[in-house]
Amino acid sequence: MALTDLVIKALLETVLMVFGSTAFGVLMGVPLGVVLYNASKKGLQPRRVLYQPLSFLVNGARSIPYIILTVLLIPFTRGLIGTSIGTGSAMIPLSIAAGLLVARCVEDALQSVPKGLSEVGISLGASPLQIIHKILLPESMSSIIAGITTVMINIVGYSAMAGTVGGGGLGDLAIRYGYQRYDIVLVVLIVVILIALVQGIQMVGQWGSNYYRR
Amino acid sequence: MPRLNSHLVVDRISKSFLKANQEKVLGDISFEVEPSKILGIIGKSGAGKSTLLRCLNGLEKPDSGRILFQDQDLTKLSEKKFRALRQKIGVVFQSFNLLSGRTVFDNVALPLEFLKCPVAERQKKVDQILGLVGLFSKRNAYPSELSGGQRQRVAIARALVVDTALLLCDEFTSALDPHTTLEILELLKNINKTLGIAIVFVTHDINVVKELAQDVCVLDQGRIVEKGSVESVFTNPKHSVTKILLSELLKNDLPEFLQHQLHSDGLENDDVVLKLIFGTQTSTKPLIANLIQKWNIPVNIVSGSLDHIGKATFGHLVISLKHEEGTTENIVNYLRAHHVAVERAGYIRWR
Repeated sequence: MALTDLVIKALLETVLMVFGSTAFGVLMGVPLGVVLYNASKKGLQPRRVLYQPLSFLVNGARSIPYIILTVLLIPFTRGLIGTSIGTGSAMIPLSIAAGLLVARCVEDALQSVPKGLSEVGISLGASPLQIIHKILLPESMSSIIAGITTVMINIVGYSAMAGTVGGGGLGDLAIRYGYQRYDIVLVVLIVVILIALVQGIQMVGQWGSNYYRR
Repeated sequence: MPRLNSHLVVDRISKSFLKANQEKVLGDISFEVEPSKILGIIGKSGAGKSTLLRCLNGLEKPDSGRILFQDQDLTKLSEKKFRALRQKIGVVFQSFNLLSGRTVFDNVALPLEFLKCPVAERQKKVDQILGLVGLFSKRNAYPSELSGGQRQRVAIARALVVDTALLLCDEFTSALDPHTTLEILELLKNINKTLGIAIVFVTHDINVVKELAQDVCVLDQGRIVEKGSVESVFTNPKHSVTKILLSELLKNDLPEFLQHQLHSDGLENDDVVLKLIFGTQTSTKPLIANLIQKWNIPVNIVSGSLDHIGKATFGHLVISLKHEEGTTENIVNYLRAHHVAVERAGYIRWR
């Protein structure tokens, strides 16, 4: 296979992994973050018994080095999609890592909304769900988008390790062809592509975050 | 004026926070607000004013005592019934608490969204109330594009857009300059008069009580030390705290010698005493000089304090000039047209 074909294939794999996992991560992380916030001391319905273990789990899972998380999750991944090898399999631990990161940023973003705003909701007789939906999430949208952008860029870095489970992607290509075969041109090319990808994500994220900032 | 059922009875409420050997924040507070009345609660900072107001709107629960609103005890209602009743109580906060991501219109529509009010009705109600607070033209602006006074108007509109019977205001003028404060006070008086909504507000500013309230409670160290109609408490203060607060009022009002000679009806050859209050919107024209030329009339400057910030003039000025009803009326209108708030302090005969 020509080198350009390899690079294009690897780029597509990376894009699929990064965007796919972030999407799953948001689907999992936003509700989890809302639950974390709501059960926390500053939340609308503080529940210590729920918050403590949940928070411990999120922090614990985040402190496992990503490559170890991948290995730890192999049985889970195999159980879920039948194999632990390939791009799809690599996305399972990536999605979970993204979800945990997103959950924390959503919690932080919700906590940074001034207390007076939820009190407006309370004094208007709104339910906790209405307050979260109509007041807290919209008011923290700007920081949530900024947070998701950072998570996505982290995932670009994590996806370089997808090669260990045969997930492919640009990082894997750079290690196998660039490092092990010492193809310096290829390494430089891949680095340039990764920089462009990260820049692109950052730019779109910034734009989105600014759009909601007033 | 419509008479809404806004009867509020506060019966011996007490509250303390769970800190070791701390004194009660509120002790044995009782008062009553009759329908369509305006009650001012005044005290120094730390007197427990805000905690009291937070008890009234349910953000804090008192340890003991009853709060009866429309004959229901707020402290005993179930969560669900309490939420429903709370919708009759509007709240205006010191820091406005507007949602930055929503336009003026959408901020005011928020309570209606919580009530799942149909869109067409929502639009009608919001536009109507925005007209009332004088912000219809700003309906598509975001809070960051508004002045402090305009933001407080939005907050008032938001508190009134549902069927509010009682409005609670927490230090609502603290973040506003004196001129804007007067405008907001006018608005609240007008709301009370035309809609019959009862108002309970807390403040540390005796001027606000003087301008707005009909009844007053003086709070000190979590206890009510004096209560009654503004007239009776102001003219015959009994407690030392009340006396100290009232001395604030005299400081930025008229000079003392003038107060004794002032009378309330203008006779022939009397001078009228006007108190002019300059604010952010006051023009930079030489208003007093123009006034002298225009009506060919001598103006006596009695007292005043003026300051400039940027291009705006702040402060107040007390002037007296020869009284003649038509001319005085014209002069007052002229000054008001140039965004000077004018108060007729009374009449005086110079000797």
